[in-house]
Amino acid sequence: MTELRDHAIPASVLVASFLAEGVDYVTTVPDFVQISLHSALVDHDDVDVVLCANENQALTSAFGLTIGGKTPLVVMQNQGLLNCLNTLRSVSLDAGFPFVLCVGQFGREFSTLGVDPNASRRNCVNKVEPVLEALGLPYWRLESEADLGNVADAFSSARKRQGTSVLLVGAYTSWN
Amino acid sequence: MPMSCLEACTAIAKDRSDDIIVSTMTAMFAISRVSPSPLNISSVPLMGGASGIGLGLALSRPDRRIIILDGDASLLMELGSLATIAGQAPGKFLHFVFNNNRQFSGTGNLDRPAGESFDFAASALAAGYAGAVRISTLDELEKNLPELRQRKGPTLVELKIKSGQPRGPDTPQPDIPDLQFQRMGNEARQLQAALI
Repeated sequence: MTELRDHAIPASVLVASFLAEGVDYVTTVPDFVQISLHSALVDHDDVDVVLCANENQALTSAFGLTIGGKTPLVVMQNQGLLNCLNTLRSVSLDAGFPFVLCVGQFGREFSTLGVDPNASRRNCVNKVEPVLEALGLPYWRLESEADLGNVADAFSSARKRQGTSVLLVGAYTSWN
Repeated sequence: MPMSCLEACTAIAKDRSDDIIVSTMTAMFAISRVSPSPLNISSVPLMGGASGIGLGLALSRPDRRIIILDGDASLLMELGSLATIAGQAPGKFLHFVFNNNRQFSGTGNLDRPAGESFDFAASALAAGYAGAVRISTLDELEKNLPELRQRKGPTLVELKIKSGQPRGPDTPQPDIPDLQFQRMGNEARQLQAALI
């Protein structure tokens, strides 16, 4: 039987991965899946967290930060991603600026951990990857600690393409 | 008497020095005309995005004054950005709202939600802006601009703007050129280079 603890990535490990990529700002509408990550980011001295009223502002403020020379990470939930598709079209596809989004798969059943997330019965989970594919935005799954190398790949790809990369966090991040 | 969008932009741009100007909708075309600069960026086509872009610029470049030329219907789309901005309290953030009580001023002149009764200045103060004022005439704007520039922000200035002549059967909407969709990215790269 699949256990949540086999899939929960420690928040401290994720933060270290983001810092290694030069992240100095996080713009976010906090995500239920990534609560421990959110807390770790807020507590970290090397990262400034911008709390946003909605995900459009998380994207537009990240766009402004990038123009000004910073390296923001945008953290949101799958519902938030679906909420800001037009802004994503504008700042990512039209303007062509490099961003990395870290999106929590809220509502994913524990029974689908370890298998294809598209097997979820919930639309807010199983429609995320098809929507990203429709937009032509590459994504990397973070299904367990074994996937941590995907963080560097996502950042590298965003820089190379001058486009948006999306990390999909499949399970609750853990507090260690 | 309310001022025109062009008159307001001319007054705001007069002493801009090295201020960064983030604009959208009608003000975007006016500011390009009266004050073309690599320090301009347009939120287009992205109604509602100007305040967030400005916030990111303000946080990354706290040495620069950031001037936002927002639309009334645009800000209503992202009214929560007032709280987002207030939470960060950027000190050199001057946020103008061009209030003509219209959506698509000079093209459709459609009503926007809430009409004349909506008070943007009161909304900004309630959200936590350091200051907010309502200005109804060009003369009043010109008199107050030097002091508004020196205030510790974020400050919101609600301008009473007269709406343009709407289009009709004899002036159909234009084919939107590719440039409109490339503009924000091009200006962003230009601004990025200017800030290095």
